[in-house]
Amino acid sequence: METTKGKPAFFEAVVRSFKARPAAWVVILVTIAFAALIWTQGASQLVNTVVTGGMWALMSVGLALVFGVMNIPHFAHGESFMVGAYVAYFVFTPISAYLQDHPNAFLTAIAPFAGMIVATLAGAVLGAILEKLVFYPLRKRTKQGWIMNAFLLTVGISFVLSNGTLLTLGANFRGVPAYWEVPPINIAGVQLAVDRVVAFAVAVVAIVIFWVFLQRTRTGRAIRAVSQDETGAEMVGINLNGMYTLTFSLATALAALSGATLLFMFPAYPTVGLKPLYFAWYVVMLVGLGNVAGAILGGFMVAVLQAVTQQFVGISWEDVVPVGIMILVLLFVPSGIFGSEVKGIQEQ
Amino acid sequence: MDIENPVTSAAPGAGQAEAKLGLWAAITKGLDVIGFSPIGMLFLIIIGILPLVPPFNQEHMVRWMVTGALLAAQAVAFDFTAGYINVVNFGFAAFVGLGAYTSAILSSTLPFLLIHPGWPTWITIPLGALVAGIVGVALGVLTLRLRGIFAAVMAWFVGIALMGLATNLTSLTRGSLGFAPQALLASTSNVPYFYIVFAMLIVTYIVLRMVTKSRLGLAFRAIGQNVDAARASGINPTYYRIVNFTLSCVFAGLLGGFYAHYIGSMTPKTIMHTSKTVEVLAMAYIGGRGTLWGGAAVAFPFIFFIEYLRSNFSQLPGLHLVIYGVLMILVMIFYPGGFAALYATAKAWVTTFIKR
Amino acid sequence: MTKLLEVEGLSAGYGFLQVLWDLSLYVEAKEFVALLGSNGAGKTTTLRSIAGYLKPKAGTIRFKGEPIVGKPAHIISRMGLSYISESLNLFTNMSVRENLLLGAYQIADKKEQLRTLHFVFELFPRLKERGGQLAGTMSGGERKMLAIARGMMSNPILLLVDEPSLGLAPQLVVNVFKALEVLRGQGVTILLVEQNVKTTLRISDRGYVLEHGRLAIEGKSAELANNEHVRIAYMGV
Repeated sequence: METTKGKPAFFEAVVRSFKARPAAWVVILVTIAFAALIWTQGASQLVNTVVTGGMWALMSVGLALVFGVMNIPHFAHGESFMVGAYVAYFVFTPISAYLQDHPNAFLTAIAPFAGMIVATLAGAVLGAILEKLVFYPLRKRTKQGWIMNAFLLTVGISFVLSNGTLLTLGANFRGVPAYWEVPPINIAGVQLAVDRVVAFAVAVVAIVIFWVFLQRTRTGRAIRAVSQDETGAEMVGINLNGMYTLTFSLATALAALSGATLLFMFPAYPTVGLKPLYFAWYVVMLVGLGNVAGAILGGFMVAVLQAVTQQFVGISWEDVVPVGIMILVLLFVPSGIFGSEVKGIQEQ
Repeated sequence: MDIENPVTSAAPGAGQAEAKLGLWAAITKGLDVIGFSPIGMLFLIIIGILPLVPPFNQEHMVRWMVTGALLAAQAVAFDFTAGYINVVNFGFAAFVGLGAYTSAILSSTLPFLLIHPGWPTWITIPLGALVAGIVGVALGVLTLRLRGIFAAVMAWFVGIALMGLATNLTSLTRGSLGFAPQALLASTSNVPYFYIVFAMLIVTYIVLRMVTKSRLGLAFRAIGQNVDAARASGINPTYYRIVNFTLSCVFAGLLGGFYAHYIGSMTPKTIMHTSKTVEVLAMAYIGGRGTLWGGAAVAFPFIFFIEYLRSNFSQLPGLHLVIYGVLMILVMIFYPGGFAALYATAKAWVTTFIKR
Repeated sequence: MTKLLEVEGLSAGYGFLQVLWDLSLYVEAKEFVALLGSNGAGKTTTLRSIAGYLKPKAGTIRFKGEPIVGKPAHIISRMGLSYISESLNLFTNMSVRENLLLGAYQIADKKEQLRTLHFVFELFPRLKERGGQLAGTMSGGERKMLAIARGMMSNPILLLVDEPSLGLAPQLVVNVFKALEVLRGQGVTILLVEQNVKTTLRISDRGYVLEHGRLAIEGKSAELANNEHVRIAYMGV
């Protein structure tokens, strides 16, 4: 291809290459940004970013799953986080109070996990109930305009859940200063708060278990099948309604777990879910709707993006830069950086 | 048969009766042009008179009327987009806020603000609408060629970004400290404010209604129902979406401008937060999307109900919002047509009942 | 002996469009029955109604003696009725192997799954070669084979196959029909919808010919092959 000028051709080639393999480019850019961040801020920033990344990953994975399997743009996902935080608080605090008078090293070590486990279960139950109560009836009634209808329904659910919590539990923050009152541990010369290390570890373990479940088990495979071809899934004997409930329950459980593990960082209050919701959506839109694998990686990428913006851009524009980036991405790669995997969604 | 030529009928009053019928038909037709049914006009007149009639002429009740009219007008502007081109402007409140802050800043004379030209409000409010419209066009151009859910989420993101901007540019907006815009009128009574916002509601409704009846409106509906078919008929969906979206944003900005100079004190969070969009959205849907008047009609009783709850059950914060949300969910699942559909069913039932 | 599949007075359609009018047919166990007709005759609608993807407007359908109208499609599938659609409905982002494993979703016993997988790979060696390839990237013929193979993974009692030879190169058509014959030899009952009348009548026991949503002719395949009308209209004689 002949060009008369060198510069425009180069620019063209860059844009074309980005469009062809946006994933590669973005990962490269993000890694560079991350490196720059560590260079200027040090290892504590690494820990913060990585912990935040785990949180966004847990949240986004659920969102991507619900979108991919059920075609529901889930706006009440932040409330799943909130529920997890509250449940963890109400499980952990009494135990913790008891342990003040009856010290027990073992119980003190595992008490926070009790909160996390109960929170995850609560999330699973809540998800199942919501699905059966709200989406099952909607599915029976209208298949038309499903995506927007389901979206608006989740908006309603979000409204009810957050205000219902405000009504019943009040607006005060329910937090804990720390899960384990121990000095920070020292790894390779870096001081790491135990709570954060555990939060990150739990997130990673949860994601790995979830991934293995999805890829290697019969039920996980069935869920993926439903997200690809519902008729085909029925043809092999998969119960669609059952899978929907399971999926929604799973997604809610993961978000609740995230809320529980980070109680020391995000106290429980009615609208605590807004920020996780926003970021989960940001990740999912960026990587491509319904793309579960992309969501995991995307969670960490967005955490880096967030940190970079906070560090290198003025605080006034902190909210604008991510949106600007999103607009750019959608302009060039409308189906998301890693490709969208949603049935029935096309751009127009 | 028309009014000029009396019908050759035996009864002397017959001609008069038919003339009356002809006049009635003319009135109904005239009303229809501006988008009102006779009952709708009646409802409007009642609302218009209410603030002068006890017990509604108490100041706090007139305040509710103002809030009601504001919500009603917003619902109309919102439904114009959501109900006709099937795009949910999930950042709607941010556009209201844009209008509010633009007007507030431009009319302000506070010396510690970055800019404070101190222009009169009758200039700054339309300017607020203009700014909202410009941002609306920009957002529209960037996102409205995408599928509905993308456009909605992008509007949501942009709304959050705008709210964040407003919070962070404190030298311009005073951020979370709050802004005290000039009052619109010297009067301390809510009544004149009501009639201004009431006029805005009427104008918003009539203008948007007439647009929906025009060729533009036809294009909107075509796009809203089947994009591919519309495109095949030669309609450029993106162009019409942008036009619709921008118009809606202009009115949002206008109402925001009014709100700023009425409320006397505002922060980004109280105007531009997503929950404010949800309140308008819930109203539009409960009222009946795609009807324009549905949300406006239910707004007034709703506000009264909610304010009543708020004053009598103040120990239960957020109760009204919970009810809002539950109602919206129920309507969306079980009665998607909303109040407008209920009204249509009732009207049909009554008409058949009368005809018997 | 109760017929394996009994359809009586089936009327079905889509919205206001009625496609099938009062159709009755049956399939005995271990039979190979053909459902023939030109495009738009209602063959796919018939299969979809039987398999539970379309709610009929009228009529009864009995599978293994049990009425199945109104049962969810996945339940019907679990009863042993395997439907292989014309559009294949493959899981395009999954590998051949995963598609096949999903075909055996209802089979609890892992050993049985592997046995069937082995059998299927023998029947379609091409699929074995491409075990790890994504279903969406395969050629049309390979995808059809995969669809049939997946439908067999559940060890079905009755196989409903919708136009497997459509759009295939002649050699692949041969493969497909050979596979169906093997299955038939294994004791699987087959209801085959096809436009390729000649070959179908050669390997099937009985046939039904649909025209404009109504049953036009029925009878033993050998007789149908000699039927004047069938020969002129469908076999280009």
